[in-house]
Amino acid sequence: MSDRSQLISTGEPFKFDQERDTEFERLIKRYPERESMILPALWLTQEQEGWISAEAIAYIADRIGTFASKVFECATFYTMYHLHPMGKYHICVCRTLSCWLRDKQAIVDYLRDEIGIEPGQKSEDGKFSLEEVECLGHCGTAPVVQINGEFHEEMDVEKLTALLAELN
Amino acid sequence: METITLTINGKRVSCLEGKSILEAAEAHGIKIPKLCYHHSLKPFGACRLCLVEDEKTGRLFASCVTPAAPDMVLLSDSPQVLKHRRNIISLMMAEHPESCIVCNKGNRCQLRMIAAELGIGENHLYPMPNYKPLEQANPFIMRDLSKCILCGKCIRADHELVCAGAIDYNSRGFDSRPATLHELPLEESTCTFCGTCVSLCPTGALSTKTDFAGTPERESNSVCGFCGIGCNLTLGIAGNMIVDVNPAHIENSVNDATLCVRGHFGHDFLNSTQRLTHPLARKEKELVPVSWDNALETTAKKLLEIKDQHGPESIAFLGSSKCSNEENYLFQKIARTIIETNNVDNGGYLSGRLLLDLAEERTDKAGRFNFFAGPLSGLEQAEVIFVLGAEPDQAAPVLDYYLKRSAKKGTPLIVANPKKIGLTTSASCWIHPYGSPKPAQNFFDTFYLELINLISANLLEKNAIDTSFISRFTSGYEEYKSDLLSLDQKTSVEKANLDSRSIKNAAETLTGKKITFVVGDGLMLQRYGKEAMEALLNLALMTGSIGYKGAGFHILSKENNLVGAWDMGTVPGTLPGRLMINNENDRNIWEKAWKSKIPQTKGLDLYQMIKKAEEGSLKAIYIMGENPLRSLPQPNRLLKSFESLEFVVAQDILFNETVNIADVVLPGAPFSEKAGSFTNMEGKIQCFSPALPPPKNAKTDLEILGLVAEKMGAPEYKSNHEDIRKEISNTISAYSETAACKHPIWIREKNQLQDNMAEKQIRFSPVTSSSETVCDDDYPFIALFGSTRFHLGSGTRTGQSERINVFAPQGEIEVSPVDAEKMNLIKDDRIKVTSVTGELERTVKVNSNIRSGYIHIPTAYNHNDARCLIQLVPLLDADSSGWDSCRVTVEKV
Repeated sequence: MSDRSQLISTGEPFKFDQERDTEFERLIKRYPERESMILPALWLTQEQEGWISAEAIAYIADRIGTFASKVFECATFYTMYHLHPMGKYHICVCRTLSCWLRDKQAIVDYLRDEIGIEPGQKSEDGKFSLEEVECLGHCGTAPVVQINGEFHEEMDVEKLTALLAELN
Repeated sequence: METITLTINGKRVSCLEGKSILEAAEAHGIKIPKLCYHHSLKPFGACRLCLVEDEKTGRLFASCVTPAAPDMVLLSDSPQVLKHRRNIISLMMAEHPESCIVCNKGNRCQLRMIAAELGIGENHLYPMPNYKPLEQANPFIMRDLSKCILCGKCIRADHELVCAGAIDYNSRGFDSRPATLHELPLEESTCTFCGTCVSLCPTGALSTKTDFAGTPERESNSVCGFCGIGCNLTLGIAGNMIVDVNPAHIENSVNDATLCVRGHFGHDFLNSTQRLTHPLARKEKELVPVSWDNALETTAKKLLEIKDQHGPESIAFLGSSKCSNEENYLFQKIARTIIETNNVDNGGYLSGRLLLDLAEERTDKAGRFNFFAGPLSGLEQAEVIFVLGAEPDQAAPVLDYYLKRSAKKGTPLIVANPKKIGLTTSASCWIHPYGSPKPAQNFFDTFYLELINLISANLLEKNAIDTSFISRFTSGYEEYKSDLLSLDQKTSVEKANLDSRSIKNAAETLTGKKITFVVGDGLMLQRYGKEAMEALLNLALMTGSIGYKGAGFHILSKENNLVGAWDMGTVPGTLPGRLMINNENDRNIWEKAWKSKIPQTKGLDLYQMIKKAEEGSLKAIYIMGENPLRSLPQPNRLLKSFESLEFVVAQDILFNETVNIADVVLPGAPFSEKAGSFTNMEGKIQCFSPALPPPKNAKTDLEILGLVAEKMGAPEYKSNHEDIRKEISNTISAYSETAACKHPIWIREKNQLQDNMAEKQIRFSPVTSSSETVCDDDYPFIALFGSTRFHLGSGTRTGQSERINVFAPQGEIEVSPVDAEKMNLIKDDRIKVTSVTGELERTVKVNSNIRSGYIHIPTAYNHNDARCLIQLVPLLDADSSGWDSCRVTVEKV
């Protein structure tokens, strides 16, 4: 699990872009309590920026009409929200049972040796970040790796080498 | 709602449907241990200690979150329940550091109490203490989150009661802790240091930072002596010191489980080394200790001498909006019947009492108290709330909690204030001036008056009026209507630099609703305060917002007994019970009760007293519990005026600016050392008893007054608070139930407009508009004055608290970012502010909540020296610039 505590300020004001703004207004009508919108709003932010900044927390709180501390609570509780900028390619390696048994560790080790990052870290050039995550729901094709939301199944070192070359 | 019956521990208990098992049990004296439950907070089910067993199924329920159901058969301490409870406590203890012996919570720790009750001594679990660094950068609250059991009481109190949003849980699992946004230190969060969380915390995770170690020897309930809310306190006493202050557990108290930073941590003045403990008299320019007999003798002799020589009109009495009802009553009785003068006033003069007088005169026929909205709890049922010129988050934080809670529940809230105050974020509409002040116009004065007129005109155009109320209870509506229709809206908008959209918005929000008004100094203490108040009353009449439960006016009062001192007649124009001095029938009532003549003409108010002293016709003043030399504007002028007096008596509790120039000083007692009653801004009369005796040679104020009267040849005036209370309740109908005073008593409830004023008529007053006042171009800025939540009034008492002085802002003047850039100012630069009457040098703070052209100057700091900028002229004078704002220049030094 990555460091949940430190929120980073960008120094720039945050705002939803037009698409997210429309989506926000569409979603908020679904909930009788405005505070229920915290999680979707955090998702929209992460979708837009790749991570959640201090400014984004304040923006969401203001937009929903709740305490910023409450938005922060949700953001720190769920490990899938990124409170730091991630690499250009964010690599999630599943570490739950099936993937574990099918040697996800080989993938993690390979990435450590090749890119030089441990789970929870970002490469110096900002290109890659690595995270071990819980079950991604593709147990039949384990081990599975997710890069920027895209699934890569039955992963092995060979396939990963090709993939990284492509991304580089 | 239906009543249901269930069985707990073999006992048949009944409760209303919807109550939890825990509530049902507690109502019948069945004790169930719990750590996360508090009756003022929504049940949470976090600690799981309140488990009960369903006898039929063997299932365990957390009783705080399980609704009681008919025919349940439950056991609260079955072997199974006890086993689980012990396990839970053992787990908590395994994570808890072994520091009980040095923990500040000591014998008040609920975790330790329950562990002891369950017989858990040595723990057989592997200890896994979860150490967190101790946080104690601020002087009020110590956070040792190693001792946190995650009950969430602090978080829930913060969100549900205080609405500050300073803390919430962070992270998850073993890492989870209540923390601030971004895990910043408490001092950098939105925490207001009200200490509510400290009082609720069941363990030593949150405790008061204090030199006192251990548990107070005893506790005593009292009523807070700071602002007009009148919170119920529990004072913790050790030896002859008040070592701890917490909200009292009293049903239906105004503050419930909350307090503010002043109430919780600002009572240090009670133990101050600056307390007056011995009578003093001036001998060759020095104040020296004298005997009580000597001090009283001098006081009585001198006052009677001056009365003989210069007449009763040469003596003035300044009573106190901080002293009790009984003291104020006796004080003015002495003035009116022994000295035979109506020159009586109190510190409430500074809080716009004159305007209230006028407002009350107008609504008088409707029954005295109908004007007021009554209990603050009504705010939670209000249809719409309109806050004008008040800054409750600083002046009366508990009122702020009420307003924020209402807003959170969805009550529309309109805020009119040139400054962005704490409440504006909760408001549905914020009305403020646009742009910078024009150089030749003092438009800020006109702000409230014009905006109220504009809103009224907008409502009239929409026909959003209460016609049945208008026809039943008011007169002069047609005139008012035509006045309002002919109002030149465009000019009004321009005059006050308003935005017509926000006015329309506000009118829209108010349409079809009964309005609850919250009015503060910002409106009342300015040049057009009277006219604005009149306009506001018109708006209230037009919308039928008077005399209905919840609707009406809450006048934010900064002094705990402002209403009481007024009711007790410590004012120049009215007798106790607000009977008119210039009305013969009214006067007769008290002449009969006192068996004495009362002078027929209205006496001098505080300003007139000073004026007469300057002119030389006032010779003596008796001041009880007020510090005018710190609280009134133009200190140098005041000092001269007071020094020109032949004789000054100061009866007070602390060495202060006024005591310093007195000829005789009589050491009195604060609320914690005497018995009496206060009437809060809601109109609730609350009695209190002493927690401690006065220190050394100090006496209670009632005793002192009795002794002074005795020396003046009226020994029958000597009496205790109970006798005085009887005397009051015999004659003042609104206080008729106070003699017993076991429970708080409301002074207005009997007088509902609806029931008994069919033929009574309140008059609409004509629409007035502000005239163009041309200001000096030499003073381009408008300085707004305001207190911070750390200090009350001029800070005589709160300034005695070391921790408040250390932590409160150091008087920084706030300027807008635009002006800061123009003048090349950055944080901590020093600026000089000059007005017609004086100048002030302070450091600067750039605040984006301040609008360009304005600066905000906090009062109370550094002997309240900011008051030198304000001109001491009566508020209602045409050339008055008000007491809450003035024109100034600003320059960098």
